[in-house]
Amino acid sequence: MMQSAYEQSSVRSNFFVVWNEFVKNMKFLMAYPIIFVFWAVFPIFWFIPFILQGQAFVGGLESASFAQIAGTEDYISFIVIGAVLNSYVNTLLYGMGESIRREAVQGTLDYVFAAPCNKAYVLIGKALSESVSSTIFAVSQLTISVLLFGVTFTLEVMFPVFFIVILLILGLYGLSLVLAAVSLMYKQSHDVSETIGYFFYIFSPVRYPIESLPSWAQIIGKLIPLTYALIIVRSIMLLGTSLTEMYWEIFALLIIDAVLIAAGFYMFNWMEEKTKRSGTISHH
Amino acid sequence: MEKNNKDYRLREVKCPSGFTWANVKAELRAIWEANVKAWKIDFAYPVSFVRQLISPVVFMIPYLLYGLVLIGGTYSENLAQLVGTGDVVAFIFTGYIMMGFIGTAVWAMGFSMRREQWFGTLEAIYVTPASRLGQVLGMALHSTVHQGMGTLIQAVFIYVTFGLGLNMSGILPALLIFALMLFALYGFGIVIAAVSMILKEGWIVSDSFYSIMTILSPVAYPLTVLPTLAQQASAIFPTAPALIGMRTFLIYDYVPEVVGNVFLHLLALGIVWIVFGVFVFHLTDKYVRKKGILKKY
Repeated sequence: MMQSAYEQSSVRSNFFVVWNEFVKNMKFLMAYPIIFVFWAVFPIFWFIPFILQGQAFVGGLESASFAQIAGTEDYISFIVIGAVLNSYVNTLLYGMGESIRREAVQGTLDYVFAAPCNKAYVLIGKALSESVSSTIFAVSQLTISVLLFGVTFTLEVMFPVFFIVILLILGLYGLSLVLAAVSLMYKQSHDVSETIGYFFYIFSPVRYPIESLPSWAQIIGKLIPLTYALIIVRSIMLLGTSLTEMYWEIFALLIIDAVLIAAGFYMFNWMEEKTKRSGTISHH
Repeated sequence: MEKNNKDYRLREVKCPSGFTWANVKAELRAIWEANVKAWKIDFAYPVSFVRQLISPVVFMIPYLLYGLVLIGGTYSENLAQLVGTGDVVAFIFTGYIMMGFIGTAVWAMGFSMRREQWFGTLEAIYVTPASRLGQVLGMALHSTVHQGMGTLIQAVFIYVTFGLGLNMSGILPALLIFALMLFALYGFGIVIAAVSMILKEGWIVSDSFYSIMTILSPVAYPLTVLPTLAQQASAIFPTAPALIGMRTFLIYDYVPEVVGNVFLHLLALGIVWIVFGVFVFHLTDKYVRKKGILKKY
């Protein structure tokens, strides 16, 4: 069926909004090259202590005890994968809420909200730029880890891994929409982001297998999208499991993504309406 | 009723100058008030306050669980070969105490001036007849107590969850080492505070120093697992000798990986860092006022 001229122009203008929001955010990032380099390199320093701790406790590069729970003796690759995927949480979770807040601080939020377009496309543009920058940082960290710590992966596994990363990003979009909504209404979303970050850090298997947590904590962990992404990616990269064998984890991740995205859009629209009525959009 | 110029002139307070007891008292009062102000801001955001109190526990758990999974228990044969004790819980706990205090120096002190800039009060502070260092030291006082409370919660958590076997008779010398380390860390924090006044994105400097200091401090591993160059570099920061010294007194059977007088080492570091910190701070203070970049960020 042919699209009407109005529908065609609407699709084009929505794409225009997404693209320009994406370009604007990338320009912000490139305007501070030192920040770009920082996120591309420095997160490695945050997990080096864990690698050194492993060498001190085990006396080698492999641990039989670790394999009993994690399924792999190679604790360095385990830590590297956890850290790289967690870097998506760091950038996406804090990035979206902060980018809304940045508009408020810079005094441009009023204009963004007064623009004759659906605000969801503005958010999609923001989320897209955060995803692209996160992926650049993740690839950089992974490359440095391969060079520094001798971590080895085959390129063949990168396609299914990329698919899982997209699913993780979708879940994080939902969560960051919730944070953006909180940021609109309560201005200071930082504490909420930090608290959610704590939950991710403790209950997801970022640094240790989820099985090492008590059963009640494992239940909480299984509500977090990062948990499934980590389990699937490590199974593919370290244990050679195929994507089809992980159908249950993929299904769970999809369900969590759907719930988070629906909740995110609902909350954002609700808070947007509320702040418009109360006239507090530009407050910060 | 309007006051004339004479009334104002009569109420003028002379700027303190010279090293007198009255001036020292006035500076101490300024430090105390900066500390009180920081506590008031803390209590104004109770959620943030509680979150920061439990953060030492949150960030220590991964080190502990990861360590326990690696060796399948709480005793590491390899660690025992390296430092005489294989008790990973005591080893990690004593190490992790330091992490929070590194944060105190690098973040709380380092960002004390920058925070005033965000609040829009930095210029007001600059025209008061008190040393700008008072602001940094007031923040240091607040942050040390705040971190101390977090560490206490951390100790209770570890004791209840994993059991903590420390040599309590060594607590006094360990506290003395800790005090000497804080003295040197304050000097380091003053340097960061000075740097953050000039750099627009000072948080990158703070985070970078924090990360480097964390790696060079034997928090969750002995110093001997680091490359030789890194072991030598760790000697210029107070955390590495302090950790080795504190573990010597607090952990049974611990054999220090570096031989030397920890007390003298820390005292020398303290003097050097404080002198260097105050020097750099005064230079930066003069520079930002001369260039008029105080308000830029």
